[in-house]
Amino acid sequence: MNNLDQLFIVSLSGLAIVIIIGLFLPRQATWLAKLSPLLYVGQLLLLIKMASLVYIDAGSASEIQSSFHLHLLGEPLQWRFDALSWFFAIITVVAALFAALFMSGVWGEDYRKKTSANAYTMLHLGLLLNVNSMLLLLASGDFISLFIGWEFVSWASFFMMVLNPQKVARQAAMKYLMYAMTGAMALLAAMAYIYDISGSLQYDIVRLSMSHLSSEQIIPLVILFVVGFAIKMGVIPFHLWQAVAYAETPAPGAIFMGAISARMGLYAIIVVLFQLISMDNFAYIHIPYTFWNVQSVLAWIGALTTIIPTYIALKQNDARHLLAWHGVGQGGYMLLGLVIADNVGSAGGLLHVFNHATYQAALFMTVAAVMYRTGTSNFDKLGGLVSQMPLTFMVMVFSIIGLAGLPPMNGFVSKWMVYRSLLLDGQPLLFVAAVIGTLGTILSVYKLVHNTFLGQLRVEHQEIKEAPLTMLIPMLLLALIIFVTGVMPGLILDWIVPVQAAIGLPPLDYHLGGIILPTGGLDMIWLTLILFYGFAVGAVIFYLIGGRAKHVHQYDNYAGGHFLTAKVRYHYSHNFYAGLMHLIGGWYRGSFVRLEKAIVSLVSFLSQLAENFYRANQPTMLVVAVVVMAIWGIAVGRFG
Amino acid sequence: MNSLTHSLTDLSTVLVDLLFMPLIAFFVGLLMVLMMRKLSARLQRRIGPPFFQPIYDIVKLYSKSTQVSHGLIHEIGIVVAVGGYIASEILLPVPGMDGIADKGGIITLSYFLMIPSLGMALGVGQCANPNGSIGISRALTAMLAYDIPFIIVVFGVATHYQSTSLIGMIDYQQAHQWGIFEMPLLAAAGLFALQGMMGKQPFEIYVAPAEIATGPMVEMSGKFMGGLFVMQSFQFYTAGVLYTSLFLGGGNNWPEFLLKIFLVVSIPMTMAFLFPRYRTEDMVRVMWKWPVMVALIGIAFVM
Amino acid sequence: MNTLNNIPVQADNNKRTNPLATVFDEFIQFCQSRSLFMLHYCTGCGAIELPPAMTSRFDMERLGIQPMVTPRQADILLVTGYVSVKTLKRVILTYEQMQSPKYVIGICSCTVNGGMYWQSYATAKVLNEYLPVDVYIAGCMPRPEAVISGLRRLMANIEQGKGNAWQDYYQRYDYYLGNQQHLFGDDWQTPTDVIGEAKYYELEAEQTYGKHTDILAQHQQPLEAQTMQIKF
Repeated sequence: MNNLDQLFIVSLSGLAIVIIIGLFLPRQATWLAKLSPLLYVGQLLLLIKMASLVYIDAGSASEIQSSFHLHLLGEPLQWRFDALSWFFAIITVVAALFAALFMSGVWGEDYRKKTSANAYTMLHLGLLLNVNSMLLLLASGDFISLFIGWEFVSWASFFMMVLNPQKVARQAAMKYLMYAMTGAMALLAAMAYIYDISGSLQYDIVRLSMSHLSSEQIIPLVILFVVGFAIKMGVIPFHLWQAVAYAETPAPGAIFMGAISARMGLYAIIVVLFQLISMDNFAYIHIPYTFWNVQSVLAWIGALTTIIPTYIALKQNDARHLLAWHGVGQGGYMLLGLVIADNVGSAGGLLHVFNHATYQAALFMTVAAVMYRTGTSNFDKLGGLVSQMPLTFMVMVFSIIGLAGLPPMNGFVSKWMVYRSLLLDGQPLLFVAAVIGTLGTILSVYKLVHNTFLGQLRVEHQEIKEAPLTMLIPMLLLALIIFVTGVMPGLILDWIVPVQAAIGLPPLDYHLGGIILPTGGLDMIWLTLILFYGFAVGAVIFYLIGGRAKHVHQYDNYAGGHFLTAKVRYHYSHNFYAGLMHLIGGWYRGSFVRLEKAIVSLVSFLSQLAENFYRANQPTMLVVAVVVMAIWGIAVGRFG
Repeated sequence: MNSLTHSLTDLSTVLVDLLFMPLIAFFVGLLMVLMMRKLSARLQRRIGPPFFQPIYDIVKLYSKSTQVSHGLIHEIGIVVAVGGYIASEILLPVPGMDGIADKGGIITLSYFLMIPSLGMALGVGQCANPNGSIGISRALTAMLAYDIPFIIVVFGVATHYQSTSLIGMIDYQQAHQWGIFEMPLLAAAGLFALQGMMGKQPFEIYVAPAEIATGPMVEMSGKFMGGLFVMQSFQFYTAGVLYTSLFLGGGNNWPEFLLKIFLVVSIPMTMAFLFPRYRTEDMVRVMWKWPVMVALIGIAFVM
Repeated sequence: MNTLNNIPVQADNNKRTNPLATVFDEFIQFCQSRSLFMLHYCTGCGAIELPPAMTSRFDMERLGIQPMVTPRQADILLVTGYVSVKTLKRVILTYEQMQSPKYVIGICSCTVNGGMYWQSYATAKVLNEYLPVDVYIAGCMPRPEAVISGLRRLMANIEQGKGNAWQDYYQRYDYYLGNQQHLFGDDWQTPTDVIGEAKYYELEAEQTYGKHTDILAQHQQPLEAQTMQIKF
């Protein structure tokens, strides 16, 4: 029994424990809640034992095979871990650990009181289900196990989403289910096609047969796979379901799913497009009648995914929705970086998966903490909380610097790598698109931090306290990770270079502080030192030169001679970028929403049509159907 | 042993750079502020301030007996605004001093330059004054407007010189020809973006003294305002040096270099006093139309 | 009624003994006198004399004087004309929001003694009953030359260390507050915590407090800053 088997056993037994206690021992459920992080610690330890997958030394294998096998329809099913799976798995488990830590304390108590003990247990169950199904997916070793894992992941996410009983959440969950089913159908079709081509669903055999495919065969295959997986990732044009669904999930669910859940789509895309069909092929497959090849189309899908959801986020008036939309948008950077498929860009895309998980989880935690204290995440009802919740504010500032991709936080490094490879690759428009996305992110995160923590403190919030320790500790830990991996990206690049090797990409040349390139690299340690030197000088100038400053009340403020009191709110948060919206407001046409609606009405119209036909002329239709089938059978029998 | 002495001399060079590069930037920046005020005075047929006026202003602001702080973030905002620029100056190569320019490069620098703005935005936010918040919302919109042409220019320049390192670009230009002659369109677009980056008229809607009471500066008094004055001088210097490094071949020696950077910043400063101001959305429209178009054509030439 | 003698022009009495420190103080005072940001509170007709004083004809910037927009940034409060009771409230609010050392200049006769509004029921006649005025520039209206000459007088005062009227507002707050309460009623309060500032910057004196500050204390809304603190 190897580590992978143990990992599955630990996860499954955790699931069993939660179900048994939830069903039969409801009294012990509070204890379970307190100890739930331990389940993930166990998984994490096993993953660390498997770290030889990425910290490769002479004797280590590149894959760990599970000793568990199944046979289905004559196809062997197998599960294994390689560097890629390990990389995604460790992010998954750590994200779940942080979500569980956050949930195990005051937040969970509060949630239990507001809903019920049962609902709280369900939340734990949902998190565990998600982690288990994701590990199952990450370990898949052939298309059937991939499909099984994929379906588990979809349904586990759905389970998590419907835990919020509100109508808007339920609707979002149903919408997600529709999308997920569409994706699954596309995936199934792609698998059937592959089986037709190569006669097997084993990765090794498929990889061989992929190498001599014509472009007429590859293009539909790629479309089917990308549709199947991109839906999970929320890539344009399938971005509509994700934000609302994730934002409305109970906080730990939002933390976990926002951090990693959607990246399962990216994992599957990497497996298929990189490990099975090499990315090198795509640059030579031209889309008929255009100047584009498959690679550039994928890159543009990534670029548009960074732009459109980011600017939708800019318009949101609710912190959770804003963050969830950014989660969709940041996926674009990962795809974009990977699709460029050089050593810098792909490493940047993979590094962004990690970085995004850290700051997105931290951001959802800060918003959850604010919601715990104030009861709302609506920007119109918040403001000025920095004096009441300074540590939460600090975590949010660290994370938004990461999200916006400014030094010295980790988001900067991964985005820098994506920009750099676009530069090296000579892609001006994609480069500009990536920068437009980043600029929109900066605007939007300032809106987030300003409307929550800055500006005038509302009268009803003047007695609010800092978030409780059980929420703060995971937040602060994440902030620390964001900073440390920003200063020393080499720590994470250690994991990424083996992943690059595993998916057949050229490895990156790096050191602890950054990237080595012949034409201008990056050294975050130096940059951070210089930055803090600058801050130190700035602080010396500010605090040592000049007189004392008195802290004044927020109503002692310039208002053109007006006497400010608590009666009149003196704060700017609504329609925050009014000037910009005068210009670009008209560009939000909701085209994708309308497209979605059109498809929905088309499908419902067709199904009603069919139903009415059937109901109106049942016998006739039956006869017609039988005759058609008979003719087809005869034709196939005669000429086939 | 040899490598040890080597690294020691390296270290001492860096230490000297750490000290002197921001200091030079500060004093040159003060001169640029003076030049701006003199230029505006001359264009308006006035005499203008005396030579030491920028110093008087800063000393006066730092010597205020009382001043208002709206909280820790307000103070940290000023520290970050000044400190971020001090750090950026060390990434900007000048004659005889490269600082740590080889560790960063142009992409890093353009993101470094956003740190002071972000710090200031956070500081202004805590002032609880909507004028300040409106100012920041406009300033960030302005950044969105001018950064897009600027980043296209950066892309074109980096592609042309086959390097993202400022030192590499300067070496290339000194070996071949100045960038402005090889890429005139990109240079023109860059100058346009520079106008927005320096926050000069017609792109100073976020200051708008008469309507939003100088926007971000509305609650800044005493040394807070003094910090912003210091920051302004750094800002002018940075703009001048950046443009000179990208298009005018840096500098072999200080007189030549100073001449170039003063010439560069004098152009936006002169323009500033000849124009009224654009509204926010009009600024975005203008910036996304003309300089972007010119820069894209320029890129087509270098690629 | 108060006379012009009330304008407190007194030498700084805590002269330092260290000659270097004296030089330093003088340097600071010199810089302060050469860099004056002014906030013009244009209440009346006197405002029309300021544009020529600022622009190309007389060019105040050569003296280091330039207009600023908010009271936080300004050093000089220029009250340019008659001050109605309603306006005076805003003038006082604005003055209190300015940061010391700060100076008040009353332009036009209206600020000196009410001028042509002497008989008006709604006009505050003598500005220095409510605020410590540094320099009055009389005239109806004073020409830009007179304005600049007044400003130069102020600059000379600052350079010699005599521009300390602002301290008087803290040291005799009770007196000023009394006059303000007399005009606006006992429930008068500005958003600025003047007494708190006097304490914080150690500018309080015996006459900072009195019966008027007691009246204020009875109804004052608390003005302590929201301190940033971590409480669970």
